[in-house]
Amino acid sequence: MNAAVDAASDAPGAPAPSAARPPLAVLVMLVRRELWENRALWIAPLAVAALMLLGALVATVKYRLPGADLSDDHGTHEGMSMYAVAQGFVSTPLSAVTLIVLVFYLLDCLYAERKDRSILFWKSLPVSDGLTVLSKLLVALVIVPLAVFALGLLLSLLFTGIWELDAALGRVPSIPGWDLIGWLRAELALLLCLLVAALWYAPCAAYLLVVSAWARRSPFLWMLLPPLAAQILERVAFGTHYLASFIAYRLFGIWPELFAHMHFGHGRAFALASALDQLHLGAAFTDLDLWLGVLAAAAFAFAATRIRRYRDDT
Amino acid sequence: MTAVIEARGLEKSYGATRALDQISFSVEPGRIVGLIGPNGAGKTTALKAILGLTSFGGELRVLGLDPRSQRDALMREVCFMADVAVLPRWLRVAQALDFVAGVHPRFDRAIAERFLGKTDIHRSSRVGQLSKGMVTQLHLALILAIDARLLVLDEPTLGLDLLYRRQFYDALLNDYFDKQRTILLTTHQVEEVEQLFTDVIFINRGKVALSASVEDLGSRYQQLTLSAERASQARALRPFYEREVFGRVAMFFEGRSSAELASLGELRTPTIADLFVAKMQGSKMQGSAST
Repeated sequence: MNAAVDAASDAPGAPAPSAARPPLAVLVMLVRRELWENRALWIAPLAVAALMLLGALVATVKYRLPGADLSDDHGTHEGMSMYAVAQGFVSTPLSAVTLIVLVFYLLDCLYAERKDRSILFWKSLPVSDGLTVLSKLLVALVIVPLAVFALGLLLSLLFTGIWELDAALGRVPSIPGWDLIGWLRAELALLLCLLVAALWYAPCAAYLLVVSAWARRSPFLWMLLPPLAAQILERVAFGTHYLASFIAYRLFGIWPELFAHMHFGHGRAFALASALDQLHLGAAFTDLDLWLGVLAAAAFAFAATRIRRYRDDT
Repeated sequence: MTAVIEARGLEKSYGATRALDQISFSVEPGRIVGLIGPNGAGKTTALKAILGLTSFGGELRVLGLDPRSQRDALMREVCFMADVAVLPRWLRVAQALDFVAGVHPRFDRAIAERFLGKTDIHRSSRVGQLSKGMVTQLHLALILAIDARLLVLDEPTLGLDLLYRRQFYDALLNDYFDKQRTILLTTHQVEEVEQLFTDVIFINRGKVALSASVEDLGSRYQQLTLSAERASQARALRPFYEREVFGRVAMFFEGRSSAELASLGELRTPTIADLFVAKMQGSKMQGSAST
């Protein structure tokens, strides 16, 4: 390839071939582009966060928050439990909304550019298809999850602050003993869970990109059709449901492993700070299925790249 | 000098339709080449092959590169405007400038800003809020600022009014074109831009019907306008196309000397538009017998 480039530049009067922009700089630009185009990626989590914050403020002003049972004295770890409740409370709707937004983002991103023919503009620029596909995976698996994690963190701190404000007014018992190290360890544990999730769901994300790059219309239906059709075929032909179990496993299989040793208290918040010790991270990271999934994700990403490169329907 | 585009035996089929049927042509540097053909002739397919946007058979080199395997390197030297309105509607003008500046090593933002300064386009507008003419101006601003060796334009002014079309081609000629650069252009509005071309390639039903420089056209083709009474005399010289215009007959000849024709009527070099019609209609009239 370089030889050909050199040969081209040997032509008399030809300007020297220009060096490409460094791939990392281009990737950063591509990620910014995704956030410009798909504003739902950041507007939706922010809207949910704003709603919850508003709800918490209203609840604090009008009602007494139903406090967790803080009378048990199990030391500072248990003392963090109010914070744990807050974080659990915050991250559930945030994660759910983000997940939905991400699925639609991945299904749409390579489809919409063909539908409005803007792919012809993007392809007129020296940006490779591989880098383009990579930027979309990066946004869905790393950038947005990290941002939402940070947002959840901020929101739980705010909630705890609101609780403390309430406590200062003597309406609820104050949270005993803020444990900074315990808090950091807990957040680190959550961050590691996020990493496991990103790796585990990488093949799902990359599969959605393949559908998005391939479908001529309704990528949503095309996402469902192959797995559904295959399951029905299997049921009819062999009367088995291996595929259904496999899909269920690929969707949820890592969590039982990760939380194998986690003890959830009954009716009481679990000790958040000790979560790091309870998470079965070693098992999750050495799970062969996790890495086979990453391999499958690479194969899907490669397929999406090839389809974007050669699909000619504009 | 090495050709900018060298195509040999280019072919591409969509099902049973042969969009490109073993076509060969070359484009030299510093030329403005019009790729002209009726709808469905294979123009866009040829452009897509040149830009590495579609698979094809045969041999093709663009700036010495193979568009199939070296597309990424090629796109640093080649710029194209596939059509009007391919800029995404959500994109803001400032974002478009940021993005191209961020990914293109040969983009000079100052040039684009200067060009945009002459228009009514606001930096904060989204493409979807701009008129069709303004979108084209924006795209043109981006393209003019890219120092590309080959610029490919596919119907760049389709659907624009006359003022925008004029501005577009004026900017292209005055601000952009120089002898280092090559422009390949398809358009339906041949009459309007034929002054622009240095070369033309006619393509019809997947084949090259004519490929010549504009200077050569003058010596190869003649248009003879004469009264209907003298038509049979002229027909003996085998025009490849004739048509009636206000009771007179216009005949088109290839490879005849002016001396042979001048005595019969009014002789001139046909315009590219007339020659195109003559070539297309002529080949229909004579079927496969035409050469």
